[in-house]
Amino acid sequence: MVELAVFFVFAAVAVIFALVVILHRNPVVSALSLVASFFALAVMYVLLEAPFLAALQVIVYAGAIMVLFLFVIMLLNLQHQREETTRPIQQALGYVFSAAFGIGLIFYLIKYAWIRAEQTTPFNSDARAIGIRLFEAYVFPFEMVSILLLAAIVGALLLSQRTDLRGRPTTGVDHPSGQNPEGAAASPRTGQPSFDAGQPSPAAASRRADPHHEGAK
Amino acid sequence: MNFDSTDIILSLVKIAIVVGALLNVTPIMVWVERRGSALIQDRVGPNRVGPFGFFQSIADALKFILKEDLIPAQASKWLYTIAPMFGLIPALTTIAVVPFGRAFVIPERIVFGHTLFAGGRLFEPIAADVNIGLLLVFALSSMGVYGIVTAGWSSNNKYSLFGGIRASAQMISYELALTLSAVSALMVAGSLRLVDVVQHQTGYFVLFNTIKIPAWNVFSPAMFLSFVIFTVAAFAETNRLPFDFAEADAELVAGYHTEYSSMKFALFFMSEYMAMATISALIVTLFFGGWDIPWYDEPATFFGFLLSAMAFVAKISVMLFVFVWVRWTIPRLKYDLLMKAGWKVFLPLAVLNIVLVAVFIANHWI
Repeated sequence: MVELAVFFVFAAVAVIFALVVILHRNPVVSALSLVASFFALAVMYVLLEAPFLAALQVIVYAGAIMVLFLFVIMLLNLQHQREETTRPIQQALGYVFSAAFGIGLIFYLIKYAWIRAEQTTPFNSDARAIGIRLFEAYVFPFEMVSILLLAAIVGALLLSQRTDLRGRPTTGVDHPSGQNPEGAAASPRTGQPSFDAGQPSPAAASRRADPHHEGAK
Repeated sequence: MNFDSTDIILSLVKIAIVVGALLNVTPIMVWVERRGSALIQDRVGPNRVGPFGFFQSIADALKFILKEDLIPAQASKWLYTIAPMFGLIPALTTIAVVPFGRAFVIPERIVFGHTLFAGGRLFEPIAADVNIGLLLVFALSSMGVYGIVTAGWSSNNKYSLFGGIRASAQMISYELALTLSAVSALMVAGSLRLVDVVQHQTGYFVLFNTIKIPAWNVFSPAMFLSFVIFTVAAFAETNRLPFDFAEADAELVAGYHTEYSSMKFALFFMSEYMAMATISALIVTLFFGGWDIPWYDEPATFFGFLLSAMAFVAKISVMLFVFVWVRWTIPRLKYDLLMKAGWKVFLPLAVLNIVLVAVFIANHWI
């Protein structure tokens, strides 16, 4: 009875915040709502008697990935402009396919979720049990995912590497001229150079009077 | 799960103990910090209110309550208001999984004709004895960064924003080293529960058949390195000097809480000191034997519990004083040095340490 109440409260929280994520115009609010949604999802794991997965859900998604997201969003000065639709057909197709996917998902959930719910074999979500499964039965996929992630990291490093005029790699912080390369120079909303670089560029100075985010109004 | 009313009352008592202790940490630590910094810098420090200025914190708290609560006109009001709460909640809840004393049996007792604690009941001095123990600590403490980041962003002030951005980068970097260095303590104890980690440290290392050293992890050759890494990362996680880049008074006015005033600012203040207390409790639990009293076997009674709880508090106090001591001794690093140290020194060392401890365990050296 208590569990049912907890489930419905947190299911509602998860859905509401998930809606905020896609409907709110301010990306920072969206990111924070996603964190709240992940938290509510972690409660679901606890209700399923898998506290280990709940903790991992919070540590990995809410604690690490979303902090990185927020970090990037805060650095990117995102404006709240609506892009004009240049290709209406693509937009229409997008709506159609996502609607079809959603309806299909709901259909299959309704059709099969009831049957699945009756199988109540005890699920061992002990850290030890999961570790043993992961490194015995699933060691190959596990290692493949590791390699995939490693490739992603190397790719990100390669893409973000900056070069000076002669094509030699430089780092963003210790730029030889004492001024940061273009990308990192302007801070999100103020147009001031970040990390104590030299004078602001004229473009940054003209942007200084920008109105900022949602709460301003 | 089946509860009876005694369980619920005992849980409430434990929560009251833990939260009460944690709420009192802030005023006491503020006093220790101000008097301690005065001592280190050869000044007098606050000495007007009460004996040795001990009630200065109460005066400060009153001042915080009475000050006007300003919200900057251009700030994002909602986020600006909830950011201090984001910061406070993880700091308050994390301590729940730390055992604060020796378990003891409450004997059966008859009060007004009602039998209480029928047949004796075990009192485990831990607010939430969950299987995942330390993972819950990391899950909750990783939420602490949102308070700082949200505060920095919503204030709409460039200094605040820099503070928030720096805090997020710094906390992500050092969280890895923090978690990985704690892993070795778990490997040795073979459990994620902090009760087991403490239990594992209650014995002795015997040298030359004569000298008995408490079997605390910090004295074990395999674990000393992880203690060092964990402590350094703990300083970074709590944003204390030499890692206080989120505030960095000399560069960023007051960093992420530049625009905050009154009780909202006080909440940040409280959460900083509570986070310090929590991480000190963790250091003590993981590396200094938790509530274990060296060279003394406390009885499994209420008296033994009191003694062990006092030992635990004493160890935490020493750790907290180290935090103050370091703050007024070591200057702030440069930002790029902080990142370099995190990613190129402490993270590889932490991974190396895990391998080292694994070798020790595989050979039954510890």
